[in-house]
Amino acid sequence: MERLLALWVESLSVERPDGSTLRTTQTLLDALNLLCPFTEAVRFGLFVLPIRAPSRFYGGDDAVLEVVRRCVHDVAGTNVRLGVAEGLFSAELAAQHEVVLPVGASDAFRRAQPLEVLGRRDLTTTCQRLGIRSVGAFADLDTARVGERFDLDVLTRQRVARGELAELEGQRDPRLARRLAQWRGEDDDFDEQLGFFGQRGAGDLRADAAALRIRQRLGAEAVVVASLRGGRTPDERGVLVPWGAPAPARQELAPWPGQMGAPSPATTLAHPVEVQLRDAQGAPVVLGVRGLLSAAPATLAFSSTLRREITWFAGPWPLVERWWSLHRRRAQLQLVLASGEAFLLSCEERQWWLAGIYD
Amino acid sequence: MFAFSPSRPSLPQDLVATLRPVALAKSRTLPLGEPWNALVPGGGLRRGSSLVVEAPAGFGGLSVGLSLLSEASTRGHWSAVVGVDDPGVVAMAELGIDLRRVLFVPRPRDAWAEAAADLLDGVDVVLVRAPGRAAPNVARRLSDRVRERSAVLIALSEPRTRWPLAPDLLFSVTQAEWRVSSRLDARYLTVHVSGRGEAARGERHVVVVPNRRGRAEAS
Repeated sequence: MERLLALWVESLSVERPDGSTLRTTQTLLDALNLLCPFTEAVRFGLFVLPIRAPSRFYGGDDAVLEVVRRCVHDVAGTNVRLGVAEGLFSAELAAQHEVVLPVGASDAFRRAQPLEVLGRRDLTTTCQRLGIRSVGAFADLDTARVGERFDLDVLTRQRVARGELAELEGQRDPRLARRLAQWRGEDDDFDEQLGFFGQRGAGDLRADAAALRIRQRLGAEAVVVASLRGGRTPDERGVLVPWGAPAPARQELAPWPGQMGAPSPATTLAHPVEVQLRDAQGAPVVLGVRGLLSAAPATLAFSSTLRREITWFAGPWPLVERWWSLHRRRAQLQLVLASGEAFLLSCEERQWWLAGIYD
Repeated sequence: MFAFSPSRPSLPQDLVATLRPVALAKSRTLPLGEPWNALVPGGGLRRGSSLVVEAPAGFGGLSVGLSLLSEASTRGHWSAVVGVDDPGVVAMAELGIDLRRVLFVPRPRDAWAEAAADLLDGVDVVLVRAPGRAAPNVARRLSDRVRERSAVLIALSEPRTRWPLAPDLLFSVTQAEWRVSSRLDARYLTVHVSGRGEAARGERHVVVVPNRRGRAEAS
């Protein structure tokens, strides 16, 4: 989890109707970004920035704290509470306590907090009766038992308590970034986004109407929406569900070992295509027990007649999951063909599949 | 069937279809991100205009098309992707597209033009990949609709299935070259940008789509 410096500026935490809060927030954000890039306004009053690089630049955490404190004082004319910890949830708590946690200490710090910090009063009172008062004690409860008593939201909070998720739902105000953009005048369709009809803006309603019309024309599954979730391969990470269906689980922030980094293929085949890989001698290229290829692949064959010359390949990258099961030995391979096309292949059950196209 | 969110207010559908933001002078263009903002006249996507991205298979046409709409998406505009069978959702997110405001019609069968026309009523940018060469009258109807609705159309095509109308802006990818290390790092594309008005003379640029972070940038 990323080590973050959190800034709590009390005087900016409640928005004033005259627009001054938004203005000062923007000014402060600009100033902070000059000192430490990637500073963001999480919600009114709360800013965070990744501290690793600034710390190296300014010569230590304390130097960064000093620079930031002075900046807030000069720009906003107020005091600031600063704290450093891993993950947004712990970082905000650290700021409230005004502590700097060394690398690796965030876990213990979070676990020592009272249960109130998870923000569910019913959870706090119920657990109190059971003698569970700290975040750590709650984290250790069996998930199944918690699920019997509470709703999904509490299970998500338990994952935060365990450190599997970096931030609590509601910690972040997703509208703030957009409103700041509007305030800067970068956003054109101000009226479209204010939300004439309650929560959803006119733009959202227009999109809904269009989606509905296409559904009537082409069938219930014709319009789909996408979201991201945790996973290792591009097809695991991207989720497409029919428009109007219940939204899938939110994006997970937990790190996934073995995840392929960017760039990802612009086409991810929902139904991978069977392909054959052959070496220069025409023998099939297979993935060995140790995750190595039997030979360098030279041709990619879609069928007995459609073959393409491979000019470059990278990998295989093993996908280590359920490693105890030999049948789940999977790996990914990137190829560039003589034509310039680039593909992502996956290997499963000794068979190669075309999984993605970098088109 | 699907569970609709109960909070969604019910307005008559034909009324909703006519809702449109008041067109302020500055909202006649949609924002365009790096590197395109430096390469097109006005630095933005003019509402009512049709764009064509032409690239041979595997030359990054889809990535270029998606990168053209990413900034508008980031800034809160709705967009739609029609006729792209298996969109790479992760790649889209890497390009900066806000997936919460994208509608996909992956397999419109032979109704791709109708689907695109419907979407032009509802979203600001529609990216469409026709299954073959589009008929001239279909393309004409679509670009009329784009103008009427003040939306932006991005049509993907290949040299062998050229878009039948002269677009307002044409992005023609003529060369694609991967830079590699121990993996695919970045793709350098030679793009010829031409069109009407100020863009008429046409210019050749080298852009990186995608780069190491999956984004588009100038080379």
